[in-house]
Amino acid sequence: MHPPLAPGTLLLRIAIAALLLVLVMFLCSLTGPQAISLKAALSGPASPAIPNPDYEILVRVRIPRVILAALVGAALAAAGVTFQALLRNSLADPYILGISSGAGLGAILAVISGFGWTLWGRSPIAVFAFLGALGTVWLVWGIGRITGRHHVTGLLLAGVVVNAFLSAVILFLVSIARSQHFYATMFWLMGNMTEEDFHVLWIGGGCITAGIVALFFLSPQLNAISIGHRDARSIGIAVERVEIAAFAVSALITAVAVSLSGLIGFVGLVVPHAVRLVFGPDHRQLLPLSSLVGAMFLVVADTAARVVVAPAQLPVGVVTAMIGGPFFLILLIRYSRKVYSPA
Amino acid sequence: MTSAIQIEHVTFGYGRDKPILRDISFAVRTGTFLAVAGPNGAGKSTLLNILAGTLTPQSGTVLLDAANLRSYGVHEIARKVAVVRQEFVPAFGFSVLETVLMARTPYYGRFGFETRADREIAAQALELTDTARFASRPLANLSAGERQRVFIARALAQDTPTLLLDEPTSFLDFRHQVRIYDLLKSIQRDKGTTIVAVTHDINLAAQYCDEALLLYGFAESPDAAGSGRSAKPPHYCIGEVSDVLAPEAVERAFKVRVFSGVVGRERFLLPLGAMAKDTDRSGPKPAGPAAERERT
Amino acid sequence: MTKWWLLLAALALWLVSGYALVRPQEADAEPGPGDRQGPDRIVSLAPNLTEILFALGLGEKVVGVTQDSDYPPAAADKPKVGSFWQPSVEAVIATRPDLIVTLAFEQQKDLARRLGRMGYDRLVVDIESVGDLFRAIDAVGQAAGAEAEARELSQSIREEVRRVRTATADARRVKVLWVVQREPLRVAGRDTFINEMIELAGGENAIGATLYKYPPIGAEEVIATGPEVIIEPAMAQDATESRGQALSYWRRFTNVPAVRDERIRVIDGDLVSRLGPRLPAGIEAIAKCLRPELFGE
Repeated sequence: MHPPLAPGTLLLRIAIAALLLVLVMFLCSLTGPQAISLKAALSGPASPAIPNPDYEILVRVRIPRVILAALVGAALAAAGVTFQALLRNSLADPYILGISSGAGLGAILAVISGFGWTLWGRSPIAVFAFLGALGTVWLVWGIGRITGRHHVTGLLLAGVVVNAFLSAVILFLVSIARSQHFYATMFWLMGNMTEEDFHVLWIGGGCITAGIVALFFLSPQLNAISIGHRDARSIGIAVERVEIAAFAVSALITAVAVSLSGLIGFVGLVVPHAVRLVFGPDHRQLLPLSSLVGAMFLVVADTAARVVVAPAQLPVGVVTAMIGGPFFLILLIRYSRKVYSPA
Repeated sequence: MTSAIQIEHVTFGYGRDKPILRDISFAVRTGTFLAVAGPNGAGKSTLLNILAGTLTPQSGTVLLDAANLRSYGVHEIARKVAVVRQEFVPAFGFSVLETVLMARTPYYGRFGFETRADREIAAQALELTDTARFASRPLANLSAGERQRVFIARALAQDTPTLLLDEPTSFLDFRHQVRIYDLLKSIQRDKGTTIVAVTHDINLAAQYCDEALLLYGFAESPDAAGSGRSAKPPHYCIGEVSDVLAPEAVERAFKVRVFSGVVGRERFLLPLGAMAKDTDRSGPKPAGPAAERERT
Repeated sequence: MTKWWLLLAALALWLVSGYALVRPQEADAEPGPGDRQGPDRIVSLAPNLTEILFALGLGEKVVGVTQDSDYPPAAADKPKVGSFWQPSVEAVIATRPDLIVTLAFEQQKDLARRLGRMGYDRLVVDIESVGDLFRAIDAVGQAAGAEAEARELSQSIREEVRRVRTATADARRVKVLWVVQREPLRVAGRDTFINEMIELAGGENAIGATLYKYPPIGAEEVIATGPEVIIEPAMAQDATESRGQALSYWRRFTNVPAVRDERIRVIDGDLVSRLGPRLPAGIEAIAKCLRPELFGE
């Protein structure tokens, strides 16, 4: 069905996907609620006397957003692939172990406490969300270890419990919040892309890319672990170490993604699944391709979110669900037949 | 005469006070084909996992190539010991070839890809287990027996001096049972591989294995309810196949009457229950060893 | 093993070079406007700010408003830059503004910050109380080069308010329950500007001090506080419908004086929810509900 992977094939597929991504990013940066013309934008930055809104919008608003969407999409997809491998379950997504509720709690605490200070010009919501996400992961991991032997089950259960508890706390806080805080939190929780500073993109981009490369290095071991951890150990893989490393890296890049853009669902669940259906479960291919496809997907979804009901803006999470759902269904129907056909 | 594996005074139980294996000691000489037999629940799979290093005994030591198993890293153990466990369908749709190739993961090149040598070893393993024709099929699309052979192929691809198998032929038809045992025997002969196989098939074990280990099951052993003093551990015995898998020992271990016949160099044993057609041919309840030998 | 070290080294190099390339800007130095003679193109991101700008005579210079900025009528014709809750950064940029005025709500403050980093002049004002309103008018006037008009406007608003206050000064304070939402029941508490308006209009909030600004309350408290008048703000066009719904909702509270005396009033929401130049009109509308005899209903 899928012949085993050759390095040449993988490189070619990655190159094609990367080119597609660049193309998509370019086209989407030209699309938005305001009509801008590339020619006008290219005539250069503004002088104080003659402002050039086309340039401003393209360079200061659109391009940073598109880059951000690509980074977040890649991070969520890569984390999704890894969690699905570690939990041996193709219905896992990066938020399954409490990251979403932890980040949400951090965010709402930041909003309610009304901190006036900023970190490098950014509101503290992002920082608190990041810390909340990581703190929750650490908590879930700890609980999972305590429950002992059947590690994966322990993790899943711990994640469900922590998620439920923190969600209740969030609802409580939201119910007593002032309306503006409530709205700000809801908006953040539903996922949003805004233009970020160059240095934020640089740092976030560096961390996310390094994380994805690290996960790629772990891909052969993830292949074995995704079959069974006892089998993987017999083959000679240091299962505990690989699991901790993969888990930590994916949790980190998810936390970075969530702190940059709020909670965007569906990408981490559907993209790995779809890519696996088409290209097979070999993680050396699944990981890089899912990252690139996830990036493309989110860039397109974000553009749609900005444009469809302009000048208002849909939450990106809504668009990812609306695009992702039917698309995934079609894919499932077409490719499932291939899987179960007689030899 | 070196031992590939040596077990000394190993005790293991899943609960605190319920040992399954108590004070077991034996050695497996290099290049031997050992069969492990016994009733369900006697601890055969547990023993295999202890030999593989997956379970840690509560007391006692396991020596692999004369060094304590615990001193080895996971990678080193995998170079010396390959394990074949019960087949199952994994969560993701890897193909047969991909699954077998995975055994070579520790030997991959710098960027995580297999070398030509790896591919050749894998291809050979597929040939030996007659699974080459499903090479590109996902495991879910195979029968249990075909999957079992794939798991054996994966262990072969690890290319280790010791092979541990847990009921490797349980789902196989006659032809493939024999093929697998022939394969194991030829590996033992050509490469000097040490093989330990847990099996329910006593007769095939008798034909192919050099030695046998019969586990009675601790709770069932004759001395379990006794005064508690015993010079040697009572609940297993190990030795030449013909000695260990003798009719009276088998009857006592499995609590069933057997009909015993001679093939050539070895016996065969057939369990006969009360409703079986030839039930009168099986011996009466074991009275004593002498009476048994006369009957055959 | 080496590839891991390489990766770590590459990441470290990336981060360090990033820091060297671009020192993170110390944003929010609030340089603010005012370094030029006066902005010619002003964008307002809140309806009350729009009203203030027009009241200051700067209507011509307004080049962008939010969708709900509908007063004065001229404002409704201005280009829209999104809604109050979701202003659109692209639309704002497209208007080529010299000055952007926003309130202090998180999403607007955030937008102002982002625009500030792009080099636009912006002014953020916090209008949560009547006192804030006057300060905001001064700030806007200063930023837009209309200080004199600002002083005049503040003055006239103060006088109008004083007029209403004197009219109701001797009278007894009327107990009011201000209902912002019916299901679940939510009222305006003491810590709101609505409370200030009520008191300026000669009323007293039926609710005592609460933890929340807009506390949800239960039926018991409605009965316990015994308001004489119940006021609900509503959209002007829905007034009659809202009135009907309000009456049918409150009918069950037969023990409440406001219901008994049929003093349930629906008021124009825009007038009382925007803290802006129409404050006196809003206070007068409330006073009419509380003391109809003094204001000729």
